[in-house]
Amino acid sequence: MTTKEILKIENLKTYFNTWAGIVKAVDGINLDVKEGETLGLVGESGSGKSVTALSILGIVPRPGKIIDGRILFKGENLLEKTESELQKVRGKEIGYIFQDPATSLNPVLSVANQLTEVIIRHQNVTKREALEKAIELFKLVEIPDPELKIWNFPHQLSGGMKQRMAVARALSCQPSLLLADEPTTNLDVTIQAQILQLMKTLKEKLSMAMILITHDMGVVAEVADRITVIYAGRVCETADTRTIFYKPRHPYTVALLTAVPSLALRKEELAVIPGAIPNLIDPPSGCRFHPRCKYAKAACAKEIPPLKEIEPGHFVACIRASELDIKSPLGA
Amino acid sequence: MIRKKSVESKLLVQNEKKRSKGVSQWNIAWRRFKKNRAALAGALIVGFVIFLAAFDVLIAPFHPNATPGFYIGETRSPPSLKYLFGTDYIGKDVFSQVVYGARSALFVGFASAAIAMSLAILVGLISGYYGGIIDNVLMRITEIFLVIPFLLILLVFLKVITAISPSGGGLSMVVLMIGLFSWAADARIIRGEVLRVKESEFIEASKSLGASKRRIVFRHIFPNVLHIIIVLTTLMIASAILVEAAISFLGFGDAAAITWGQQLQKANEAVKEAWWEGVFPGLFITLLVLGFSLLGNGLRDALDPRLRE
Repeated sequence: MTTKEILKIENLKTYFNTWAGIVKAVDGINLDVKEGETLGLVGESGSGKSVTALSILGIVPRPGKIIDGRILFKGENLLEKTESELQKVRGKEIGYIFQDPATSLNPVLSVANQLTEVIIRHQNVTKREALEKAIELFKLVEIPDPELKIWNFPHQLSGGMKQRMAVARALSCQPSLLLADEPTTNLDVTIQAQILQLMKTLKEKLSMAMILITHDMGVVAEVADRITVIYAGRVCETADTRTIFYKPRHPYTVALLTAVPSLALRKEELAVIPGAIPNLIDPPSGCRFHPRCKYAKAACAKEIPPLKEIEPGHFVACIRASELDIKSPLGA
Repeated sequence: MIRKKSVESKLLVQNEKKRSKGVSQWNIAWRRFKKNRAALAGALIVGFVIFLAAFDVLIAPFHPNATPGFYIGETRSPPSLKYLFGTDYIGKDVFSQVVYGARSALFVGFASAAIAMSLAILVGLISGYYGGIIDNVLMRITEIFLVIPFLLILLVFLKVITAISPSGGGLSMVVLMIGLFSWAADARIIRGEVLRVKESEFIEASKSLGASKRRIVFRHIFPNVLHIIIVLTTLMIASAILVEAAISFLGFGDAAAITWGQQLQKANEAVKEAWWEGVFPGLFITLLVLGFSLLGNGLRDALDPRLRE
């Protein structure tokens, strides 16, 4: 690919030092996002998706700590920046959309207040200009009569409206990268589609890159250009969306795809992946998926599988990737 | 037909007006407060005392230190039309003293509460938000203030201060002392509330948008704990007034000040012969404290987000 990488994460390790032991929430993740592209970050709950995103902005909640790795954003390592330098990146260069719009907006401040705050912080404008910009943003995210709605408080807006407002806030300074942490999980299905469509259009309009974090395979299929599948804090597989869906090489990716309830496949029963996500204080040795993997053999428990490029742009972390011939549940 | 249309358009305009104004949580709280009769009664009492204090010169028939009854033998005379609440041992008008005492009571209440709440808010916010060692140190200091016998230490301090300098600083010194010694419990309550709020996702969200720590504390956390602070302040005002009365009654206050507590202290020696000397100032203390307490409780009910209908 000729396009430049806007974000490159190398061997990121974010650990949580709890009383029960060290939780290795993110344990050596590698991923990259190219300019203008949408990367889907997919995994089960607790696989380290959100922690990865929070690590990028350096706002991992206590007792979490980034202990190793590099996060290169536009060629600069964010981990070497000071707090005040990072504050200038947050919201201005990188936007963040949270999962639950009901809790990610401050209940006691009006929407106008919360939007202009960000604009004033990062752009050299007066209050009036900021307000005009905020109204523009409301038009951009398709909120009806923005001049009136902007004076509302979060509790007066519906869930979909709130998420539109959160999108507007994240985009207020036209960031070049948008992190969307399950932006549609708490919305009902029709609103989900609207918000996804909106994000897709805005992404084109503002020509920014996006990381879409989700556990919903349907959502990534809709929006993402490439997909990175992570499991228990490590990357399993990275490839373009078509390849992930039709030619997956990692058993975990296949298991995820099989577990998607689908009318088209007319499955009698919902498929589940046996077992649960491992305890990240004391994770399984070798490949972290091996206790739940039906293709596992002795070697899987011994060595950590490296992330290997088996085809151009298709990375898999499975030692049996080349010998296994697994079929996508979606067919070829 | 035309008429109907005009009514419709009128409604539309009204709707527009209503919508154009955001309904903040404060609006909701005010609506709820208005329905609470006890709280309104509290507000009325407090308003009444503020009225007395504001127009004391006009309301009181005599200067509080004047002794209109002294030369004409009207000392310790019972309530009458001339002396509404009677006179005291040197012929001062009790009613005039009560009226002028309103200003002192409010000064003591508001000033002590201002000092105490400023400390409580500062300690609570910093301790709750920053956590770690800062929290630990501040909370241990707070605990020291919590365990010392409050009234006793106040009395000792005031005694020492009057011993060092006889003028002692007067009522302001009493206020300062009350303020400095009564912030601890409220600081802990505010800290607890800050701990709850700071884990909210909207705090994380404002971090993700590049807000500085100071901005998060004062702009995002503070308004979210303000409802607690308002309630604690009204209750603090009530308790400060009571404490000042107690100090004065025990003879440790500023003897030159005109306060209800001082009146009580002077009335102490003649409870049997001249009940009016003590009963009226005592009644006003009770009334004002009750007023602030009712107001505080009403505000708590109105501002508590859990009681949303």
